[in-house]
Amino acid sequence: MKQTAWLIFLLCGLASSPAQIGIYQHGSVVRMHMGDCTVMHQGFLTNFGPPSAPQTVESCPEYTLISDNVVFVIVGRSSNQLIPLAETIDFRFQKNELAVRVDDAKREVKFTIKDMIVRSEWDRLQRHIDEKMKAPEVREAER
Amino acid sequence: MVSVARIMSLSPTILLLRNLKARLLLCGLFFACLSSSGAAQESSNGTFYSNASEVRIVFFATDKKNRPLQNLTKDDFAVVDNEEVIRDFRSLTRSTEMKLDVIVLFDASDSVLPRFQQEIADLLQLLLPWPWNPDDEVSVLSFSGTQTYPLCAGDCAGSLTADRIMAAPRGGSTPLFDALDTAASLLQSRPRPDVWPVIILFSDGDDTISIDSYSQAVEKILTSQTHVYAVDLNRFGPSRGRRTLQELADTSGGRYVETGDDATRISTAILEDLHSARVVTYALRPSNSDFHAVRILPSHDLNLQFRSMHGYYAPPSNTSTEDHP
Repeated sequence: MKQTAWLIFLLCGLASSPAQIGIYQHGSVVRMHMGDCTVMHQGFLTNFGPPSAPQTVESCPEYTLISDNVVFVIVGRSSNQLIPLAETIDFRFQKNELAVRVDDAKREVKFTIKDMIVRSEWDRLQRHIDEKMKAPEVREAER
Repeated sequence: MVSVARIMSLSPTILLLRNLKARLLLCGLFFACLSSSGAAQESSNGTFYSNASEVRIVFFATDKKNRPLQNLTKDDFAVVDNEEVIRDFRSLTRSTEMKLDVIVLFDASDSVLPRFQQEIADLLQLLLPWPWNPDDEVSVLSFSGTQTYPLCAGDCAGSLTADRIMAAPRGGSTPLFDALDTAASLLQSRPRPDVWPVIILFSDGDDTISIDSYSQAVEKILTSQTHVYAVDLNRFGPSRGRRTLQELADTSGGRYVETGDDATRISTAILEDLHSARVVTYALRPSNSDFHAVRILPSHDLNLQFRSMHGYYAPPSNTSTEDHP
């Protein structure tokens, strides 16, 4: 009986640890800034309900996270909801949110997905931006 | 000493001209003092290569108990420069490899006169351990009325006495922002790649007459990449001056020290801080604006805290600080 209980406990533990069953994707944060948290509060009542008293403006961290195929823009729920800026981080989808594994700890932090774009499209946009940024330097060099 | 009423009656143009004249005179005096003391040195340390294509950030790292970190590697943090996350650093070194160029700004206006003797004692106590390195420079300026006065330049640690401070003009209004502008301009006028500019400010933070605004003073501080250590001379609770000092220290990546601490603790806190700093360099990223907002964040351990200036102004692409002696 005791052995069975231990076995069940062990199986439950494995099932609740996403890292163990390999459901994490890998990505890298390439941009970060503190933006407004409005993406968190845009419910039906906020948009269409009666006007409410002005709230104190809080800024939330917004990250651009690139994975192999998709680039995500994710927003934290509060100003101090930070994720470590390691070269590679682990994340997974969970109920329309992105759960990011913090450091090597077991805990996850959930972020709202503000935007998504296919990686190839994002790369193309980045090349275009880089070319525009370098254009003045190229013109200067040609003179 | 010009009375406050007399100054207030002057037109802004006359005040501006007077102030410019005074700053030019002050710069001249300062350079004369430095050249006579032979303090200007050629850069001999090749570690800190800084030019128009490289960024150099001085920062402090502490653990969750706010203790300086002894071991820090490039993998422990990332720099967010104008929103871009940077991890590929050219170098990471300790500040002890840098020479310090320190200007102590000393408030001698009416509002701090009741604490003047204590202020002098704190200042002299602060100068006692200098220099750490033979090439460190410590200069002292006082400010009051509408002017900033040089008390000594380059070698103040050995030459400044209480009598000399007492002989300087005092009383009148508080031209704090003008004095900060002057000090930052002086530090910026002699940039060297391996020198760290620092302002240690003794004041109540309550500017009453400056031509420069707070924003202008901060811009000059960030342009010169100077860290401000603010020693608060306010005796009472929260005030506008205290907030100013805290913001100055925070924005520049320096530190705010309360006057309630005794002189030894003030100097120890500042000197330990300067001693534990690190310097990271990386390639300048292209940007549409000259100003780059900067933040340093942990890569793995979210308990680590990093303090640095909140931004810098990118140098013009056709100049190089390498060329400056």
